[in-house]
Amino acid sequence: MILSSIPILLIDLIGSFLMIVLSFLSLRIVFKLRKQDNDNLIWTYLWWVCLALSCFAVSRSVGHILKNFLLMFNHNPLWNTIRPVSGAINTFMFIVVGAVTLFFERIWRIYQLIRKDRQALQSAHKEMLFLNQNLERLVEQRTNALSDSEYKYRKIFEVSKDMILVTEKDGTIVNLNPTGYSLLGLASETDNIESRNFHEFMAESENGFDVMASVQSEGSISNVELEIITSDGTVKRILLSGSMADTSDNETETIHFLIKDIDQRKRMEEQLAQADKLASIGELSSGVAHEINNPLGVMLGYTQLLLRDEKSTSERYADLKTIEKHIRSCKAIVEDLLSFSRKSETEKELLDIHQIIEDVITFVQHHSNIEHITIEKEYNPGVRPLLVDEKKIKQVLINLVVNAIHAVGTKGHIWISTDLGEPAGDLIVKVRDDGHGIEKKHLKNIFDPFFTTKPTGEGTGLGLSVSYGIIKNHGGHIFVDSKTGVGTTFTVILPAV
Amino acid sequence: MKGENSKLPILAGTLVGLLLFADPVLATQTHGQPEGLYVHQMAHVFFLISMWSLEFWLRQRNLNKERGWRYIQFAAILFIIWNIDAAAVHFMDEHLDILGITKIDLWHIQIDNLQGQNGITILYYILKLDHLLCVPAMFYLYYGLKTIFKNTAVDDDGNRIQP
Repeated sequence: MILSSIPILLIDLIGSFLMIVLSFLSLRIVFKLRKQDNDNLIWTYLWWVCLALSCFAVSRSVGHILKNFLLMFNHNPLWNTIRPVSGAINTFMFIVVGAVTLFFERIWRIYQLIRKDRQALQSAHKEMLFLNQNLERLVEQRTNALSDSEYKYRKIFEVSKDMILVTEKDGTIVNLNPTGYSLLGLASETDNIESRNFHEFMAESENGFDVMASVQSEGSISNVELEIITSDGTVKRILLSGSMADTSDNETETIHFLIKDIDQRKRMEEQLAQADKLASIGELSSGVAHEINNPLGVMLGYTQLLLRDEKSTSERYADLKTIEKHIRSCKAIVEDLLSFSRKSETEKELLDIHQIIEDVITFVQHHSNIEHITIEKEYNPGVRPLLVDEKKIKQVLINLVVNAIHAVGTKGHIWISTDLGEPAGDLIVKVRDDGHGIEKKHLKNIFDPFFTTKPTGEGTGLGLSVSYGIIKNHGGHIFVDSKTGVGTTFTVILPAV
Repeated sequence: MKGENSKLPILAGTLVGLLLFADPVLATQTHGQPEGLYVHQMAHVFFLISMWSLEFWLRQRNLNKERGWRYIQFAAILFIIWNIDAAAVHFMDEHLDILGITKIDLWHIQIDNLQGQNGITILYYILKLDHLLCVPAMFYLYYGLKTIFKNTAVDDDGNRIQP
């Protein structure tokens, strides 16, 4: 079959020329890419691929062009000489192109790693740059934040109304807040509490050891009621919670305690319980007194009728007199019970309390042997007249002063003072003595009817009960505060008009 | 160091002796004409495999979804086909004794098919136009690179980076 060789010839020549042109154009583009980013591994790879392809294109195309021209002009022997060299170069170039191209996957993977590392480095560089530029400001911000935080927690520590105590594991005090100093009756400026032990302030030191043991074994304890001793020896009831905590260096452990002073609350609870108890007893006494009072009246009436018909010298008269005396005595007790239960009627009028106190002192001085007892008075001139039942208030004050005299014995001091309470301007009358005091166990029963520590026959045990009833009937309050061996203070509060 | 220096003259002397008194042992193999053809064919296969590998990894790395790399993928495919074409022409030229090619004049050639199959003759004629494959392949490579150049972003330092 005879075929035209023109298409083969033309395509061969033009194609060879285009191969050289296109390969060099490709090389030029990669050159530009490399010029702009010389460190880019992909561009380097493409550079080598294009370079190999250009060499391949040149070797192959030049060979083809030479072949066509030499054969065209019948230089067959020359072509036969060049042919093996051209073919060998061409074959070598194939291999080079193939070898370079095969590295694509590895190059790409390395490039990705480099790119990732470069991005990380750039990010780190930016961060470093930012830190360098803003370090001073950032440090200032952090310092301020730290300072604010420290101030906030220091403030909580200082203004807390509860005692905050930090101790080591053995109970050695590390830190104590101002409320703690106040609760323990210490002065934060003068008393160096640090290095003292927590157990020293426990009313019973075993309790302190138990608390420490519990915290260390359980990690924390909460709401344990204990008693502490203040610097002046006063025992106070507290509610204690505590937990273990690491110190900032994480090397030592401390115990943080939160301690509430519940003494006042407990006292209030006891007073409320006492008031409830006395109110119940008052109700009972009132009922009994009413029931007994009428028969006693009848008995007294008939006794007096019988006495009229008897001669005063007769034995029968003496017997009736004895009956009358005891009936009157019973009636007095009934009257007292009615006073205690606040059922007796009062006749109130505006009176000067200082005058009443003076009358009471005069009365007591006439009726008691108090030569060696000093009665000191301290009146507040701002006290205004009060609406009171004179007889009954006198009865209360006589009871309190006589009790004080009995407590003092033959020699001692009694102080009577008046003052104005805040903010309502209530009258506060205090009767204080330096007598033997009242035992703690008796304090809760002191206003109970018929409760007395005096020997039988020396007192009915109704004095303070009656006083309590009278003061309550006036809308006031009466308290006792006593310490054995130191003395007793009765405080009467009467409402202002 | 001293010991190593003392061994050097002994080694040099041995080498010189071996070169001076060597006898031919016919250890070197001679290379005849067909070897060149085989190497050339193998080079085509190697080129084909490398292009196939490039095309494969471009797909694996999803680079063919970007225009520039997609054109390079086309270039690789065309180079694969071109390699098959060229290898086939070489095979027909050198191994099959069914075609007899005679240059009649400058503008005509005679292709004689000993088996009388015109199809093989025409196929051979078409396969001889292999530049119709390798030139587009090279064009796609150029165009792909040009597209990548255009599309590459410029980073903060003014360097072009891979999109």
